[in-house]
Amino acid sequence: MSLDTRHDEHEGGLREDLGAVSAVADRIREAIETVIEGKPDVLRVLLTVLLAEGHLLIEDVPGVGKTMLAKALGRAVDCSVQRVQFTPDLLPGDITGVSVYHQDRNEFEFAPGPVFANIVLGDEINRASPKTQSALLECMAERQVSVDGRTHELERPFMVVATQNPSDMEGTYSLPEAQRDRFMARISVGYPSPQAELDMIDSHGSRSPLENLSPVTDAARIRDLVERVRHVHVAPGMRRYVVDLVNATRTSPELRLGASPRATLHLVRAARAHAALNGRHYVVPDDVQTLAVPVLAHRLLPGPEARMERLTAEQIVAEIVSRLAVPGPR
Amino acid sequence: MGPDRHRLPNPLGRSALRALMSLAVLVTMLASLPLFGGLINGGTWWIQAAVFMAVVALVSAVYRWYVNDSVAVPFLQLFAVVLLYTPMYAPGTAALGVLPTLETLRRTVDLIEQGLGTIASGSPPVSPTEGLTLIVALLFVVFAMTADFLAVTARCPGMVGGLLLTLLSVPLFVDDAGLPWVPTAICAVGFLTLLALDTWVRNREWGALIPSAGGPVSRVSGVVGGTGVVAAVVVLALVPALLLPLTMSSLRTDAFHALVGDRRLGGASDTVTTTHPLVSLRRDLAATSDRTVLTYRTDDEDPEYLRTFVLDGFDGENWTMTPVRTGRDNALDDPLPRPPGREWGPNEEVVTTRITPASGTPSMDFLPLPYPSVSVEVDGDWYVDPATLMVFTTDTPVEGEEFVVLSARNRPGAEALSSAGPPGTSLDDHLALPGGLDGRVGELTASLVEGAGSDYEKALTLQDFFTDGSFTYDLAPPPVPTGSDPLAHFLFDDRTGYCEQYAGAMAVMARQAGIPSRVAVGYTAGSPDGGNRWTVSARDAHAWPELYFEGSGWVRFEPTPAAPEDGQGTASRPDYSSEGDSADEEASPSPSSDPEESASPEATPSSPETDGATASGSDGTERDDASGTSGSTPPAWLPAVGVALAALFLLCAPLLSRALIRRSRRASVGSGGVSSAHSAWREVRDTCLDLGTAWNLEESPRATARRLGASLPEPSEPARAALWRLALAEETARYAPEPHTVQSSGVDLDTVVTALTATVPPGRRWRALLIPLSLLPRRRSGPGDEPAPAPL
Repeated sequence: MSLDTRHDEHEGGLREDLGAVSAVADRIREAIETVIEGKPDVLRVLLTVLLAEGHLLIEDVPGVGKTMLAKALGRAVDCSVQRVQFTPDLLPGDITGVSVYHQDRNEFEFAPGPVFANIVLGDEINRASPKTQSALLECMAERQVSVDGRTHELERPFMVVATQNPSDMEGTYSLPEAQRDRFMARISVGYPSPQAELDMIDSHGSRSPLENLSPVTDAARIRDLVERVRHVHVAPGMRRYVVDLVNATRTSPELRLGASPRATLHLVRAARAHAALNGRHYVVPDDVQTLAVPVLAHRLLPGPEARMERLTAEQIVAEIVSRLAVPGPR
Repeated sequence: MGPDRHRLPNPLGRSALRALMSLAVLVTMLASLPLFGGLINGGTWWIQAAVFMAVVALVSAVYRWYVNDSVAVPFLQLFAVVLLYTPMYAPGTAALGVLPTLETLRRTVDLIEQGLGTIASGSPPVSPTEGLTLIVALLFVVFAMTADFLAVTARCPGMVGGLLLTLLSVPLFVDDAGLPWVPTAICAVGFLTLLALDTWVRNREWGALIPSAGGPVSRVSGVVGGTGVVAAVVVLALVPALLLPLTMSSLRTDAFHALVGDRRLGGASDTVTTTHPLVSLRRDLAATSDRTVLTYRTDDEDPEYLRTFVLDGFDGENWTMTPVRTGRDNALDDPLPRPPGREWGPNEEVVTTRITPASGTPSMDFLPLPYPSVSVEVDGDWYVDPATLMVFTTDTPVEGEEFVVLSARNRPGAEALSSAGPPGTSLDDHLALPGGLDGRVGELTASLVEGAGSDYEKALTLQDFFTDGSFTYDLAPPPVPTGSDPLAHFLFDDRTGYCEQYAGAMAVMARQAGIPSRVAVGYTAGSPDGGNRWTVSARDAHAWPELYFEGSGWVRFEPTPAAPEDGQGTASRPDYSSEGDSADEEASPSPSSDPEESASPEATPSSPETDGATASGSDGTERDDASGTSGSTPPAWLPAVGVALAALFLLCAPLLSRALIRRSRRASVGSGGVSSAHSAWREVRDTCLDLGTAWNLEESPRATARRLGASLPEPSEPARAALWRLALAEETARYAPEPHTVQSSGVDLDTVVTALTATVPPGRRWRALLIPLSLLPRRRSGPGDEPAPAPL
């Protein structure tokens, strides 16, 4: 996807379309909030990534609702959802699918794996061996599966929501930088507020609220919305702003590794989706500022000094954002 | 991880652009060098200045190229200049060839003194001495460093214009020819080049401005509005500058001084060229400085004036000097030719005068001598003009070299003068007057000398006419209206002037009365310095008429008032011209022919009552003296009012410029389009800056609106909503493909400005009004324009 936008021909229609984007997004949000309460920021990033055709990494301690969140999204959008529980003995074929020999027909037939779905929930991805992890990550980047020399396209929308436990917990293989880079954004769900936790006891006490969740939209509609998001305008000054922001992570003395050019593309795409979610047909600095931490932080490696000062990548990104002048007239 | 890593990344070649700006400053400064071309002789004086400026610019450019920082630039420039200066100007004194020592400093002081002496020698073009080139080079170095700081470090290249104006004013003040237009044009082109390059660099750094998307009507109105603002600024800047001086006579330029233009003497190869004497006289008088010009020792208790030039021709406006000739016949030898027309008695006594020009006084190519001199001892090749006894040279004489002159001690007596017969030799040249003189001058002369028996009495009458108190002595007389005859204007309308006018007018009237006359220029006797030493300073420069009497030769008269306050302080009337009454002539110029006046010697020349009585009595013409004298003198309070007005203007200048900016923005708000939104938002920004409310360039418009809105006290919903609309308009103008969706309105702007102003205490409101901080240069918005401090 290029940074260029072709907005001129359908500006008028686009604004109405974007009203539809935010309306649909609001419906999805409301639906999910019946399951997970009090996490509007998390939901916003989730929807942003969905509309920007990215993949989401949810990182948190066990039991805070990572899986529930992904499942709720799958239920709210009427599309195929597959769940893969990553374990150390999981093989690449268990994800992509394998060719099975049919003796009667005397030929191989491809049996699609769980990755053939609109939303793939990769649970505890850092428990699998790196080999298996990379099989999934290849599907994420290429949006296709190659088995035995044959290529199988994945249906759109295709979104991987992977959860992982923090890498310092037992039995985990932390994702290498190159693979973290393929996720558009990383979020932490975090513990619910005391009130939300009280409500949760009530709602989850009787039966799973997921069962009450009925779909509010479908895959075709999401494809349509994604197409509209692509036409959101990014002003030249805003492009420079994004580039400067990413550049700043590369030259920051606090960081051992800065963000990649892919991060630049992801940040622009996410900012477009974020603008559309708010009913705007152009990107403003606030979009970029809101998304800078979720989109950039997981790709960065703090340097030794920063680690001694117990600075996290999130704090460093936030600091850079607060120091960078927004584009404007002189 | 060096210190330079604690920076945000450089956007595309910013260092290179800054380095380029440094070189553009060099070009601009080099383009200003020709301004001095008319002031200094020779074609090489500028090389040192150019070399120094090039070094200054290169240091700046290279440093800015490699280091993304400006703090060290001036220090490095200074260091480089010192390293270059020492071997260039004081090669023998340097340690290790380049390092300055104490001896270098002494040499520098010597050079600068030499240069100042050259400059003080007055009439441009001056010779390019080493000291002068040093001063010029240092001047340009200082200006180049300042320009580099202003244009590159402070990013205000427009301010360089102020420096260039300062340079422009040098030829304007120093050279009577005024501003040469070709160098001025070159200088202007250099400045425009700098501005153009700065615009280009800004566009490279941040991208071209988005053109206003308004329709043709709004564009036309924008152009009209813009032109109106420019016109308003021009009017505001020019009108006070042009009108204010009219209220202050001291600021008025001297049209009357045009009575004598800057005329070169010359023609044949053996004639002498010099700046016109009256021009240098005027410069010395205008300086009114106490700078000592020369000192002398004499055995005369009442020394004669020191005469330098003689002007013997009158062309209707100017007194001019017949070109003097060099040549073997005129070579100075001992004794001098006899003074024309003076009988040399057997018991003539001579006075010895040893004259020492003061150090720092430019070398004199015409010697100031008491008249009539008998012999002059001076080194070098000198010539004497037999008709006038002016002594001069064509070489450049050694500065400060003493010379000795012998002159006649005896002064002519009143009897000898009154009994003088007609000139023995033809002096028609000294009676000649051009046609076209104002007829009233002749009538006045005739009425004055009517009844006078001898030429001597006529001369005294004329002298008294000027010193009877009806004339006002003023070194800066009001200008002569265009088209009117300066002489007639002085005699009949204005009656204000200084020695130049008095001497010239009396010489003309003497010729009309049939007495041969000429104008002498030089110095008065100066002030006694104890013993037999006398000191002559620049303010003793003087002009006086010399009238011819057979047997006595050329005799000095003194029509200029001699009072210390209202006249030429050291002027003195010779005994013979006071009709035997020599009492207190220094203090009072009042003529002794009028007993009433003698009884009240304290009567000042500008006293209107005595003016009316004596003036109408003496010249018999119908003239309203009250209007003639008081009318031309501005009231004493006028300068004070002028100063107060100027101070008020200065005090209000920030307020006025801020108001002008606000007005122009307010006018463009509501016109629609990008510029409207930007204008409104900038006004909000500047209001915050003025009030001292925080304004962050890192905040987007909507974030700013949210923060400011939260700071507004309750209830202020309308103001918050208006602020939000302004922010959205600015946001769409900046980031949206088509910025017409939200419009800024003037009403919203007014609401917001009022609400923001109400949040601060009254003290800060006053400060915001009088000292609008938004006028100060500040960080520009835009990504990466400013390096960030080290994170956390």
